[in-house]
This record gives sequence, C-alpha cells and structure tokens, in this order.
Amino acid sequence: AMEETDFQDVLDDWFIESLNAYKDLHVYQLEHPTQVLEWTSGKTVCVGGHGASKNEILELLLPLKLFADENKGLCAERDFKVVHGGFTEGPVRCLRHVPGSRCVVTNDGLSSDLQVWSVGGDDSDVIRLTGRVEGRKRRTTKSVSGGGSRIAARLSSQVLHGAQSGDVQLTQLTSGQILYTLETTSDDPLSSLQFVSDAVFLAGASNGNVYVADTRTSAAPQLHPAPASPGESALWWTDASPRAAVLRLSSSGQAVVSDLRSPGGAVSRARLDVQSGRGDPEVGVSWAPALDGCIAVSGFGGAVQIYDTSLWATEPRDAEPLFEHRGHAVSSRSGVFVAAHVWHPERPRTLLSAASDGSVHVWDWVDQSAAGC
Amino acid sequence: MPEIKVTPLGAGQDVGRSCILVSIGGKNIMLDCGMHMGYNDDRRFPDFSYITQNGRLTEFLDCVIISHFHLDHCGALPFMSEMVGYDGPIYMTHPTKAICPILLEDFRKITVDKKGETNFFTSQMIKDCMKKVVPLNLHQTVQVDDELEIKAYYAGHVLGAAMVHIKVGLESVVYTGDYNMTPDRHLGAAWIDKCRPDVLISESTYATTIRDSKRCRERDFLKKVHESIERGGKVLIPVFALGRAQELCILLETFWERMNLKAPIYFSTGLTEKANHYYKLFITWTNQKIRKTFVQRNMFEFKHIKPFDRSYADNPGPMVVFATPGMLHAGQSLQIFKKWAGHEKNMVIMPGYCVQGTIGHKILNGQRKLEMEGRATVRILFQLDVKLQVEYMSFSAHADAKGIMQLIRMAEPRNMLLVHGEAVKMEFLKGKIEQEFNCHMPANGETVTVTTNPSVPVDISLNLLKREMALGGTLPDPKKPRTMHGTLIMKENSLKLVSSEQALKELGLNEHQLRFTCRVPLQDPHSDPDTLHGIYLHLKSVLKGYTIQHLPDGTVMVESIVIKVSSSAEDPNTKVLLLSWSYQVKYFHLLKKG
Repeated sequence: AMEETDFQDVLDDWFIESLNAYKDLHVYQLEHPTQVLEWTSGKTVCVGGHGASKNEILELLLPLKLFADENKGLCAERDFKVVHGGFTEGPVRCLRHVPGSRCVVTNDGLSSDLQVWSVGGDDSDVIRLTGRVEGRKRRTTKSVSGGGSRIAARLSSQVLHGAQSGDVQLTQLTSGQILYTLETTSDDPLSSLQFVSDAVFLAGASNGNVYVADTRTSAAPQLHPAPASPGESALWWTDASPRAAVLRLSSSGQAVVSDLRSPGGAVSRARLDVQSGRGDPEVGVSWAPALDGCIAVSGFGGAVQIYDTSLWATEPRDAEPLFEHRGHAVSSRSGVFVAAHVWHPERPRTLLSAASDGSVHVWDWVDQSAAGC
Repeated sequence: MPEIKVTPLGAGQDVGRSCILVSIGGKNIMLDCGMHMGYNDDRRFPDFSYITQNGRLTEFLDCVIISHFHLDHCGALPFMSEMVGYDGPIYMTHPTKAICPILLEDFRKITVDKKGETNFFTSQMIKDCMKKVVPLNLHQTVQVDDELEIKAYYAGHVLGAAMVHIKVGLESVVYTGDYNMTPDRHLGAAWIDKCRPDVLISESTYATTIRDSKRCRERDFLKKVHESIERGGKVLIPVFALGRAQELCILLETFWERMNLKAPIYFSTGLTEKANHYYKLFITWTNQKIRKTFVQRNMFEFKHIKPFDRSYADNPGPMVVFATPGMLHAGQSLQIFKKWAGHEKNMVIMPGYCVQGTIGHKILNGQRKLEMEGRATVRILFQLDVKLQVEYMSFSAHADAKGIMQLIRMAEPRNMLLVHGEAVKMEFLKGKIEQEFNCHMPANGETVTVTTNPSVPVDISLNLLKREMALGGTLPDPKKPRTMHGTLIMKENSLKLVSSEQALKELGLNEHQLRFTCRVPLQDPHSDPDTLHGIYLHLKSVLKGYTIQHLPDGTVMVESIVIKVSSSAEDPNTKVLLLSWSYQVKYFHLLKKG
C-alpha cells in the first residue's frame, strides 16, 4: 500500500540521517514493553513488564560491541542477552538496584509496598523474590492518584521509599528495621526520590515542591517550594545532578534549575517545547552523569530530547534541544511514547530509551553544535 | 505408552554443531549433520557412536534431513555418509542441494590444502554424498516410506532454509533449524501452520537473545563504507557469491544514489556467474513478495556497480570492491587484500564467519602480521603487515526471544524441546515456556523421552450408533460420557466398533447364550400345573411392576427368568422348581426377592 511505502521511506531517511547523527545505534524489540530501565552494573540493565497480571523482570546484558573500545571492529556481537529473569504478579512501575548487591527492589504502583528480589549469579538465570517491605501507611484525607512508591537505594542494603512526602522512610532490607522516617506534615504525592550524597536525599513532589533531608538527623526537611507556575496546576518532575543542581520540569514545559543548597532560588529557567499528546504523561528528566549541564527529557511523546542547561538564562526563554532522538516515533506506525530513558553512567553521550511499543534503543549521539556539551 | 526420543549428539555444550537424533514411531531420523568450527580434531564431528559403536549407519537410520547450507548444519555430512557410512536418503530443499556442495568443497580445500589435514573427506566423497540427496519442495508431503512422511516449511534465515515436519502415524515432530521471524528486504519470515506437533525442537540461544535490528546492522555497514570513502580509502568486501553479495550491493546502490556519491563500486567477475545461478534458484524458491523485489532489480545491472578488472586495484582514490572468495583464503579477494592491507585508510569488511586456517579468520582474531606465500618462479614467504581497518559484521537473520514465542504459538506443540543450552542455568526460561507448553532441555548426548498421547481413531457402525441414539439423550455429549457395549475389530489398518452380533457374523461364529439354572426343592401337594399357578399368583403379588407371565407351555416368566415345576412319579409332593436365567446380573435381586 502507499502508506507502507511512505512509512518505509521515512524510516530509511531517518536511518540515513542517523549515519551522522549517531556513533552507535542499536534497535531492539522486547516481547513486552517496559516502563523501567535500571542499571545493575556497567553492562547490565533491568526491565520489567507492566501488564495487568503476570509480568517478567529481565536483566539484560548489553551487546559486547558497545564496550569493545579498541577492537570494536572485530566484535560483531550486537545483541542483548537475557541473563536473568523472574516473574511478578502485577506491574513493575518502579525498579531500583541496591548498590553493592545483587538485589533489586520494585513497586507495582498499586500500593506502597515493595518487593525485594535477588538477581541470580552465574549458576542460575532466575530472579527470585526474597522478601517484601511494607510501605508506611498513614491515614490521609486526601486521595492519592497513581498510588505507587518511589524508591532510592544506597549501600548497606538500605532503601528509601514512599508514595507521598508524609510516608517516606528508610528501611534496612536485611533486618526490615526502619532506620529513618521523613518528619513532615505534608502529604504531597511524590514523582521522585533520590540520594544526593551518602546521607542527604531529595524527595520531588508532583506539585513541584522539593524536600531535602538528612537521614542522620530527625530534623524537618528543607523545603524548596514549587516554582511559580502560570495557569492551572501542573505536574512536576525533578532530578538532582551530582553537582547539586536541581532540575524541575512541569507538564507545561516550564523548566527551572536551582541550587540544592539555596531553597527558593532559581539559577536558570527555560521553556521547553513539550507538545504533549497525552493526558497523563509518564515523564522522565535526568542530568547527564558525564556531560556537565546536559539533561535528557522524555515521556511527552515519541522522542527523547537533550538540552544544554548552561545556555539557559535567569529569564525563561524558549529552549531548543541540543539533540532529539526520534527513533521510536519514526519506527512506529501508530502513536508511541517513550516510557523511560537512562544515561550510561560513564559513556558521556550514550543513552538507553524504552517506548510503549516495546522498543528499546541504545544510542550514542553526536554533538553537532558548535558549543555545548 | 507411545513415546518420542530426542538426542542431541556430540560432546560439549556450545552451539556449533547441530546434529539431532529423533526416534518416532519406530523410525530413526537424523536432523542436520553439522561441523563444530572451533575444533581441529574429532570433536568437530557429532558423536555417531550413540547410534552404533562400529559400522555403517544405514540400517539404523530411516533418513537424514538437512535444514540449510551453513557448515554448522551440513559440514559433517560427507564425513557421516562416506567415511562412517550411510546409504539411505538425505533430504534437503533444492537451493540447499545446489549450494551445499559448493560450500563443502570450499571448506574441504581450506582444511586440506591450507591446513594440511589428512583425515578429511575428499571431493569425490562430497559428490557421492550429494548423489544420495532427495530434494524437497515447500509444503509438499514426502513419503519416506509407507509410515514416515516429512514436509518442509519456509524458515527465512538463508536461501533454501527449511523447518521440517516429521510424521509417523499420529505422532509428529517439528524441527526448526535456524529461522527468523522478522522479514527483511530479501527473506520473508518463517511460517508454519497450527500443526500441533507432539514435539517442537529449537535452539535455546534464540530464547535468551534479543536481536539488534537488521537496519542497524546495515547502517553500521554503510557508515563504515562511507567513512572510508570519505577519507579516500579503499574498501574490500570479500563475499561468498551466493547470498550476502546481492543484498549488500543493493544496499550500497541505494545509498550511493541517495547520497549522490561518486566513488566507484566494483564486483569481481567470479561473482556474476555464480550470482546469476543463485538468482535463478532464488526466484523459483521464494514467494511472490520477495520475487518482486528481485525482479525489480535486475541482478547485476546496477547504475553504480561495475565489473571489476584486476588492474583497477592499483587505481588511486577511493573505491569499493566485492570480491570472492569470502574468507580471503584464495583467489581475487586475497590478491586485492595483499595490495591494500598496508594502508591505514583502507578497510576490509568481513560479512560472515571465517573458517580456521583462512586469512579471514586470522585477521578477525586480531592478527596484524601475516605470513603469505608469494607468487614467483620460486615459492617465497613474506610477512604482510595488516594496517588497514578490519570490520567484522554479522548480517545473518536469526529469531530471538520474542520470535521463538511467536513461532511456538503458531505451531502449538504439546512439548517444547530446546537444544544447546544448559538446563541447570535456564530455569527462568524453562519456567517461562512452561506457562504455556511443556519444556525440555537435554544436554548433548542426553536423551529426552516425551510420552505422547495420540488419539486412536475408531469408526463406529451406523447400526450401533442408531441403537445408542434410540436409548435416548443427545449424542455426543462430552459432559455425559456413556458406557456402551460393542466389539472392537481391527481390520486392515482401521479400527471399527460394531455390535456384537455383527462382529460374530463377520467372524463366522454362532451366538451363544449363557443361561444359569438352579433347582429349588419344594413340598407341595398340588399338581404340577397348580403349583406353578400358585407360584405365579404369589410372584404377581410380591413383585409388582415387573412383567410376570403364565405361559400356555407350562412356564412362568418373570421378565426373562423362566420358572418350571416338575416332580418325580414316585414322590409327587416333592416338587422341583427349575429356575433359569440368562447372563444378566441385574435380575438377580428379583430372584432373591421372589
């Protein structure tokens, strides 16, 4: 049919463009789409299904070719290997690796409880459920939409989790002991939770508030109030960089960078073009671990956008992405959106992205601008 | 219980040598006969001692089936048929039959001439082996003998690759060989109908792999070629004429056109003859859609690709050359390589696996200094410094985790069998498949026995059926199974269920009826007939609801029980009640009651 030819032509065009736009490019199709992408080592990543009933959690080994630096040409291996797998009842909405261990922790988005898994070693390919952690249940007058917990993990098998600001706690996985609870009267639903140092963490709420607290003290958290937002209440997503910069992005495209140490202030702002075709986007924002000032944004549509925040000013202006990965949109015959993305921890411009059609791309983009990251 | 036995042959767990033995319905079938390319000794051959310790294999095997022409599936075939000994039929598709001997001969030449091996099959053996081949067409049922039938299905993967369906009576096995489930430019996707085999045999490596798309592999190829051309380098692509060359030529042609590139692309002349042969094979083998793709491109009438002359290799400036043979082991590709290897700007792209002993294999293993033979009046050896860029690319189309599930769901097997994996380490995978199908994972040399439960079809005679229907109720009612009486007759090769009378008639036997009698003594002063009448009246009063008759011949019948009275002349008061009933136990309670 004519449509099919057009589709193939657009796809071919994109692949031709990709010759210059990317160094490496790999395109995969999972059996079931994933909303999570989490590194379990420098070479392995976990994904999980989110269907209504039984789902798989898989640990995938990235293709050898990606890591063969000097002898890259001699390595023909381009495929993912499924090295471990397990089954879970219910969807996987959040998946976190516990550093220094072979453990991952998941949440199904339906309750605030967590499942604890042991990812097998060389002798077995099974990811096994080894325990559960009960989420803190607090009676609240407000109803919570999208109920699931956010999770952050740190060394010594300690996991920080909570669905709202009022029920964040730090649990010791091995003993089940609760080591710390966030003391706050607020009950904001959370969109992120992360450690910014060994003891300090950040809880990003969907209303734009950010709470910063130290697990060593029982003091109240420091509040970074939501940026002033014109019009109706927006949803916000947050990420903190290793250099103590906090990025907040709203569902209307408002982006604010502030300093972790100064609540209420803003270092720079921008307006991102995030035409959203979706009512309730599953947005991901992240600072590049190895590329100063660069961020990635996904979830509004079928693309992943890279921005250089060092070009942003104090007064918000429209920002152009430094790079846009449109591979998922171009390869899909119907509307697709990117459900998750993640930067490679060391390779500066390598990202993984997963879309609603089950596709997973691994891409190493080329910075074609004069300045920038 | 009927059972199917499957044994992957050979030592070592690695993929690299496909050879699977299947026993089904009393028949023994060998599936593929591949060579393990990593070994130099006997470990490269499958372990045929499982079949028999010594002597020929002919009497132990009903047939051999080869899925496609890759050496890890057919490389040991001449060894098996001519050196171990097998004279039965060897089945493979037409393209496989055409291409196999060419690859085997190439492989033989490299192994014997380059590596100096002696215990290897000869050219004559390859020819003798191919004489035993019976070619297969797609979807055509072939009777190997009056009980064993096989059918080939399209597998994609390479030209002529087939999946095979094997049937003996009501038991069946499907072997996938290598296949792929995503169609690409020139090969369609594998397809099979819902044949519901008892066992589906496939590779476990598929199930644990998630494959990078074909387009990305092609992109990498184009990128590498483009980068070399841009810096003025020359690109050599050694190809085996049959298969990859056409695909890559079309890819480059399209790219050159789109990017308006000027650098020349050449193909060596050896390629054309073989390629046309391949082209004809391809056209008759493939389906309509693929045929159209090829027809649109007249094989070697490209706008940007021209025939090569060896003098061009010395021309300055960038160029791309496709040359045979594919592993740089001889001929034109090796000549060109020697000229171009010394310059960093140049590149060689190896699009496939290279056999040990070839230059291709050496450079793919990182060797940068090669010992070469020079052509002169005196044979000289010299060292070649490999400075050009070496790129190894894999274009072969294989199924992956998603694809294998698609195929399994198409065929709906009762049991799944994955070879070349380690069951102990594949618990998750096994569990995943077992959500829908039984799954087995034998080790090499280990036999898996799968019990089957074949339905046995039986014809029922119309009379019997009518009789049963007359008893009331709808037939058949799967929720209410009924017991029925009949006789099972095995006649010729069919089973029939008939009424007992009909069975007796067919066998020429008379029907006998068993009747039991018992004598009950009774003291009664009346006459015999009066006694009988008294009994009649008594029974009528106590056995209400039953048919009781006093017949004119001097008997009383209760249903079918016959009662008579008799007495002796000497003692008329001592009566004997004679009861007689046929072999129908349900009336027994009546006797007791009466």
